[in-house]
Amino acid sequence: MARTLAMFTDVSLCIGCRACQVACKQWNQLAPEEPEWTGSYQNHPHFTDKSYRLVRFFEETDAKGQMQRWHMMSDVCKHCAQAGCLEACPTGAIYRTEYGTVNINQDICNGCRYCVSACPFGVVAFNHDTATATKCTFCNDRIHNGLGPACAKACPTESIRFGFRDELAVKAKQRVEELRKLGYKDAQLYGEDKDGPLGGLNAFFLLLGQPSIYGLPDKPKLPQLNVITDSLLSIGAALLVGLGALVAFRDRGGKGGA
Amino acid sequence: MEPGLLKSADWPLLIDLYFFLGGLAGGAFVIATIANLLDARRHRDIVRMGYYIAFLAILPGPLFLVVDLGLPTRFLNMLMVSKPSLEIGMSALTVGPFHLKLFSPMSAGAWALLGFSVLAFLAALDVFLEDRGGRSMSTLRVVVGVIGGFFAFFVAAYPGVLLGATARPLFISAHWLGALFLVVGASTGGAAIALILSLLGGQARDSLSRLMRFTAFALILQLAALVLFVVAVQMAGSTGIARAGAQLLSGSYSLTFWLGAVVIGIVAPLALQLGGGIKKAAPGMTALVSALILIGGFVVKYVITAAGQAT
Repeated sequence: MARTLAMFTDVSLCIGCRACQVACKQWNQLAPEEPEWTGSYQNHPHFTDKSYRLVRFFEETDAKGQMQRWHMMSDVCKHCAQAGCLEACPTGAIYRTEYGTVNINQDICNGCRYCVSACPFGVVAFNHDTATATKCTFCNDRIHNGLGPACAKACPTESIRFGFRDELAVKAKQRVEELRKLGYKDAQLYGEDKDGPLGGLNAFFLLLGQPSIYGLPDKPKLPQLNVITDSLLSIGAALLVGLGALVAFRDRGGKGGA
Repeated sequence: MEPGLLKSADWPLLIDLYFFLGGLAGGAFVIATIANLLDARRHRDIVRMGYYIAFLAILPGPLFLVVDLGLPTRFLNMLMVSKPSLEIGMSALTVGPFHLKLFSPMSAGAWALLGFSVLAFLAALDVFLEDRGGRSMSTLRVVVGVIGGFFAFFVAAYPGVLLGATARPLFISAHWLGALFLVVGASTGGAAIALILSLLGGQARDSLSRLMRFTAFALILQLAALVLFVVAVQMAGSTGIARAGAQLLSGSYSLTFWLGAVVIGIVAPLALQLGGGIKKAAPGMTALVSALILIGGFVVKYVITAAGQAT
């Protein structure tokens, strides 16, 4: 496997211009959609089959409902090192590339939609036109030609950076220190830690506050880890059922009777 | 926070119906197998009907699943693709074009469904030939029954495990769905056999009363699994999960849940049976109890799947 490629999104630099969202649509030739107003500048409310990039807007308020800070964050598929969508896929359409990214092979996907419900971040979307699941590929065609994803290329503030994961991680940590010195005490990285949830995210973030402010789960969990426990409990239930049937139907020498 | 972020597969009612029929088929198959092992002659009606029902109930299953796919023509991709990618998940097994992913319940379930369908067909064929006056190949039936029994359990339980392996708040922290779906399969499988036998009449009373005793036992397990599921959801301690739980227990799905899954599906049939219905095994009472169990068994799977997908 080649060196892992990653995307580092620094929320402190985002100005909410949505150039990334537009560049993504253009490069990936994603059709326009009806706007869905959310009461803020964010559009759409969620990732869709035609929006792989999404700038999220969050208004942080205090206990009295007074606005404190306005957060902008360009969100994207995390290309998790342990990916719920990839593990769920029953066809093997979802695969990991040599760069560590997660892609959906559109020629294999049969549209079962299991991956849609297995993503801990609600990224994968079902495209009703192609009847397959779709999501960000980190611009698979571009990165295989050394161009970098369209969103990172378009970002005017370098809030979105793309490169080798190990190099980006060093830069990200330096940036956190820098911001803390400037007084942003709650500046923190999300998804950078390879020993953290989901084995680390290949799209990781610098946040100016708790992940929950940005609608991100504090500790995302790989859903497939449940398979072992759930299966063992099912086997236990199967043993009880089998035992119950054996007792009910065994010969008690004569007519049934309780 | 979390709930707004997540997406749902939005599987339609057809899939709930498959979950229900698959469980019923698995339950009926296991009952027939065990009755056959213990006393094939005495429990002949149950063995016959169990294997017939198992086959007929699983028959539409694959069709429902294929119809629901975005691209039904690619249904074979669940089992094989011309060249599987190298990295398609932890513990993925590939042999030539075939692939099996042990941590994807849908992948394992597709194989189990294939295996169960074949064995359910063979078992039904065997009892059919016997019914037509031929001799049963009793050794073959035992082998098919025992191997098929494992597949039957798998087919009944895996949809619950499958839901548990999603990021949906209602499912992700509650580990009891596989167990619950399995015991619902057992109760509905038993109820389906009992319903048809009691409607046909003329069966051995003893066998039927034993079957009803088993379904009562399965109902108690069903109640226990349901309670454990609800407790696990309540104890999860996340706002998203609590909201999803509230949707099921006191929100828009609560009436269906309490009335359909709990009262009609468990409390009423248990009360009727414990009130003397078991001993007499009167056909009318047996049919009523069985019908209630079948309705409740469908509702409990439907309402949990629907509530979990909606919230």
